[in-house]
Amino acid sequence: MEKLLAISDLTVQYVTNNETITAVDSVNLEIDRNQLLAVIGESGCGKSTLGLSIIGLLPPNSKASGEIEYKGKNLLTLKQKQMRNYRGTEVAMIFQEPLTSLNPVYRVGDQIASAIQLRRLRDDRRDKTEDEVMQKAYKRDAVTLSRIQKPGRKIPREDKIETVKWLDLVRIADPEQVMERYPFELSGGMAQRVMIAIALSQEPALLIADEPTTALDVTTQAQVLKLMRDLMKQVNTSILLISHDLAVASQVADRIVVMYAGEIAEDAEVHDLFSEPMHPYTKGLLACIPHGTKDDSRFDAIPGSIPDMRRLPKGCRFNPRCPYAFDHCRSTIPKLIRAKENHQVSCFLYAK
Amino acid sequence: MQSDQTLLRTVNLKKHFPIRKGLNPFSRAEQRYVRAVDGMSISIPPGKTLGVVGESGCGKTTLAKTILLLTPPTSGEIYFDGRRIDNGQTNRRELYRNMQMVFQDPESSLDPRMKVGDSIGEMVRELMALGEGEIRNLVSESLRAVGLSEEQSERLPKQLSGGQKQRVAIARAITPRPKLVILDEPTSALDASVQAQILALLVDLQKKLNLSYMLITHNVAVAKYLSDMIAVMYCGNMVEYGPTVAVIDKPRHPYTIALIKSAPIPDPWRRNLLQTEIKGEVPSAINPPPGCRFNPRCPYAENICLQENPPLNEIAPSHQAACHFVEKTANVTESTSP
Repeated sequence: MEKLLAISDLTVQYVTNNETITAVDSVNLEIDRNQLLAVIGESGCGKSTLGLSIIGLLPPNSKASGEIEYKGKNLLTLKQKQMRNYRGTEVAMIFQEPLTSLNPVYRVGDQIASAIQLRRLRDDRRDKTEDEVMQKAYKRDAVTLSRIQKPGRKIPREDKIETVKWLDLVRIADPEQVMERYPFELSGGMAQRVMIAIALSQEPALLIADEPTTALDVTTQAQVLKLMRDLMKQVNTSILLISHDLAVASQVADRIVVMYAGEIAEDAEVHDLFSEPMHPYTKGLLACIPHGTKDDSRFDAIPGSIPDMRRLPKGCRFNPRCPYAFDHCRSTIPKLIRAKENHQVSCFLYAK
Repeated sequence: MQSDQTLLRTVNLKKHFPIRKGLNPFSRAEQRYVRAVDGMSISIPPGKTLGVVGESGCGKTTLAKTILLLTPPTSGEIYFDGRRIDNGQTNRRELYRNMQMVFQDPESSLDPRMKVGDSIGEMVRELMALGEGEIRNLVSESLRAVGLSEEQSERLPKQLSGGQKQRVAIARAITPRPKLVILDEPTSALDASVQAQILALLVDLQKKLNLSYMLITHNVAVAKYLSDMIAVMYCGNMVEYGPTVAVIDKPRHPYTIALIKSAPIPDPWRRNLLQTEIKGEVPSAINPPPGCRFNPRCPYAENICLQENPPLNEIAPSHQAACHFVEKTANVTESTSP
């Protein structure tokens, strides 16, 4: 498959007054075109930070090093203005709470139409060289702002047709009427569909979805995940799904990356991961999914809890909870190694 | 009355919340209600677990609050331990010694400025006439039962992890040695590995203390794991009720079928989620659709479903479903359960 984005040696640190916390530590990752890659991990494992670093939305107190290579450029070294040409257009993102991402005082139709208009402006710019665009960026932004949709202004006809088309595509019934609503009048599932419509209307090469269905009901979650999987082919995009739920990932992902305490524990094609989980943490996570009833099955729950990122254990970060840990694990940090074709694991049990 | 076999029983329990009519005091607008719980009859035997499964807004938490008398029921009856408790003459202290609740978010159910040991002690002091020494013993006994150390009882909630806080909440609930513990989404705020630990703990405690649980959850796999009986709620109504294995493996109400098919199973070779056929979302409980409340989303709906809300029909011993066409769903489910 064709490579879309390659992350190498990405390290992200958050700096506060008295300490520095490494949220993502030397992560190597590739995303292929038209692939749904799921990043799985428990809270605080760095999966959201990974997503934010790709789209350039890390908070100001963070330091990122390494390389995120996209179309021959390192996204980490781009200036804010250059990044703006990527963010939202080449790489889009949706979040857990759709209602906090939508503007509460704009009608849904205005918000989608403005996204469509912005994309059109970007397409116009495409013919020009990047320097030309950058030189006039400030002026252009002022023009841009005056031209995009404002509340109360009638949406131009062609934009309206496209807005309806996108609402149709995310399977919202009665799009003409939904366009007139404010975000608070939408249910959680509808709001997430609107977010997906806005994100995909930019025709991004990569959509980052950070826990997109965690706040939704089970039946709605199934619909939204199915929708994302269907649209992926239709719009020709890749999806980076960030989730805590291994069961959800098994249902939709092509490849799964398991993260633990800021590092990648295992990276494998989805069927390989489930037929032959290698890392003890992955095995533990699989055993933690409730199956059967209390009478016929018992949990082999992973003992203990995730480590405090300020006081990480020495050696392998999973060693205090690992049933297979030996002395070497307590002193040396394992590297991600290729154990099989399309299957990488960071564990000394598989070191040759 | 089968009060010997049931610890908790409700009969046609209803809770309707009136909607505020707006600012105009002379408004002629008709008084409307949110029919949060609309006729629930459940029973829980001692030492058993009833799982109440449903999506947000289906009324499952309101049902729990009504049973705990935190809000008075609109109509219906609640019996606990052989006595009717909703007649206004119940001694709350005595009731809460026997009936306790664990909430979803341990963060907000513990006082942030109180040591967790004191949080538990305070409740015991309130409910039981005991000396300080006995209280301290009870508290440390409960903490030990949930796997926390003496030293951790001296901490503030913010010094504990989410799982530890939920352990404290469970310790608090079991301290007065109740007969029934109502668990409202006890693991949905927790990480996967912690959820497994808490579920294992709940099973252990149930065996050791002969507790009954009423488990409220949206997670079919969790309900299957913990429950002996399952009640499926939709829009304030009970749509299916029966032994766990029957309801999960041979669901008969179209909504239960959809719910189980929508629950992700950890198996990339069986992608049930991508085959989901259910459309639409849970309707508002203010203006539920006429007839069967599931009819706008139901693949089997016919005219009668738009007019009559079906009663619960017995389809197998102690397995009931509220559907006009249960015979149509007899063969639709192969094993899709998580």
